[in-house]
Amino acid sequence: MSEVLKVENLHVDFNTYAGKVKAIRDVSFSLEKGETLAIVGESGSGKSVTTKTLMGLNAKNAEISEGSQLLFKGQNLLDLKESEWQKIRGNEIAMIFQDPMTSLDPTMKIGMQIAEPLMKHQKLSKEAALKRALALMEGVGIPAAAEHIDDYPHQWSGGMRQRAVIAIALAADPEILIADEPTTALDVTIQAQILKLMKDIQQQTDNAIIFITHDLGVVAGMADRVAVMYAGKIVEYGTVDEIFFNPQHPYTWGLLNSMPTTDTQSGGLQAIPGTPPDLLEPPKGDAFAARNQYALAIDRQEEPPFFKVSETHYAATWLLDERAPKVTPPIPIQNRWAHWAQLKGNEA
Amino acid sequence: MVKYISKRLLLLVFTLFLVVTATFFLMQVMPGTPFNNPKLTPDMLAQLNKAYGLDLPVWQQYLHYLANAFTGDFGTSFQYQNQSVGMLIGQRLPVSAQLGAQALVVGVIAGLFMGAASARNKNNKIDGTLGIISTLGISVPSFILGIILVYLFGFKWALFPVSGWGDSFSETILPTLALAVSPAAVTTRFVRSEMIEVLSSDYVQLAKAKGLSDKEIVNKHAYRNSMIPVLTLIGPMAANLLTGSVLIENIFSIPGIGQQFVTSIPSKDFPVIMGTTIVYAMMLMVMILITDILTAVVDPRVRLR
Repeated sequence: MSEVLKVENLHVDFNTYAGKVKAIRDVSFSLEKGETLAIVGESGSGKSVTTKTLMGLNAKNAEISEGSQLLFKGQNLLDLKESEWQKIRGNEIAMIFQDPMTSLDPTMKIGMQIAEPLMKHQKLSKEAALKRALALMEGVGIPAAAEHIDDYPHQWSGGMRQRAVIAIALAADPEILIADEPTTALDVTIQAQILKLMKDIQQQTDNAIIFITHDLGVVAGMADRVAVMYAGKIVEYGTVDEIFFNPQHPYTWGLLNSMPTTDTQSGGLQAIPGTPPDLLEPPKGDAFAARNQYALAIDRQEEPPFFKVSETHYAATWLLDERAPKVTPPIPIQNRWAHWAQLKGNEA
Repeated sequence: MVKYISKRLLLLVFTLFLVVTATFFLMQVMPGTPFNNPKLTPDMLAQLNKAYGLDLPVWQQYLHYLANAFTGDFGTSFQYQNQSVGMLIGQRLPVSAQLGAQALVVGVIAGLFMGAASARNKNNKIDGTLGIISTLGISVPSFILGIILVYLFGFKWALFPVSGWGDSFSETILPTLALAVSPAAVTTRFVRSEMIEVLSSDYVQLAKAKGLSDKEIVNKHAYRNSMIPVLTLIGPMAANLLTGSVLIENIFSIPGIGQQFVTSIPSKDFPVIMGTTIVYAMMLMVMILITDILTAVVDPRVRLR
């Protein structure tokens, strides 16, 4: 496996009238060719800012601290000029947007919208680009694509439009595909189709996908690795099995407990109490401490470092410190741990 | 499309009939007579009324007017002796229409550029300067601008002729500019607010994510989408400009129809009032029809039925 992207010590602040909002506070992760990394977290955790930063699409009031690095093919994307960014966007790193109903230009033919990045990046003629657009439309499962290449977005359903948005993202065969909640705006049956499509495409093209979502159910089916974000930081990351069956961070516990599963009994869903902290003045210590029933005294004093759980699994919680008291996680998490032990037992 | 346009044209004829009827009877409500020269004796007045058919009952006058209008005879002006209304309008409307068309083209094109420049530079110095210019353009009356233009370009620097019509194109430049300022300012403000909205839309974000430059985004995506509401503004604006402006025509001594419009009313020149009203109403309706068709061309979501 080869690494296509390495994010190191990313800090993003937004200058507002109220002050500096520290939206991303020291995020590091890497992405391998052909893998899917899911970034999960509730609204305001910094998922979308992270992806916008990867595309160089942050609002004008964003400020990326020095020392932040986005290494793509050995070059730090944060050093790029706008004109150089334009060669990366849609070409090497492409994005699938959240809402297909508003992401397409209502006054441009869909075929043309798919052809646009090809004309821009591969310098194809209009005819050649449209021919390729037709192949892309077929590739994303648009029926009778040749008849619909001159359609306008309003003639299509949401699911079909999202396929077109995916075709646009795939047009220039990007190395990295960022999907920002690509199924949130779709109904459940269409969601499954779109997710399957993305999986199939990844198998063909071997591109890396960063999948942003707050839907853990989607993560289980899509991701190879998962990073859990809270208040502008990654608090736990590991393989999808490690996060689902051996979660260590109380915030991950909370997320998993608030997701229904087939085993969930009535009344079994647990909401995480409280709201995320104000990132104008992030709290001292662990940002999650105020909402965390397992918080230790040190959580309010000092930020926890990452503790290694396995070669691939790290979590930033003081509970993993050897001096910490042993806590008993909620029962559903204990069940997950039991399942994990079973899995490990089978392997051994 | 053809079916739609013919339907609209039929509707246009019907509306025109309503406008004619309403105007005709409203004119009768106005006090006074067209012939108010104190030297006229009652006999002479009666003779005049008879000559112009004003002695007949109103409903007969109305039917006569309709019948004549149907055959293209719009009567003779009371004010300008022996001039048929058709001739009067035929001579003067083209002058006003040319001036108006020039002002429309200059104004709308300037407005499109300035509005887009303003939107792309939202809240910085360029936007601020254009904001001041467009506010001035809307609030300063065109005749004041006309006088300033005459002073600067006609008198001080003597670049263009200050009045006249029909001898050279350069005569049209100052009145065109004076007339274009207000539509340019209105269009600027409208395009600015539309484009700011479009530039913050999801599909512009997606266009950026495709790797397009700001210029490409504005030209390929933003203009077309911002134009849709702007078109609805341009229709009535065009009708207004093409039917002449009293003040500008006065300042630059242009033999346009704008003056007729106004002077025919106090002098109760009934045939001219009717004629100019018909012209104005028709122009407005045709322009609105054209904007509707253009809107359907620009916006695929609009279907003409």
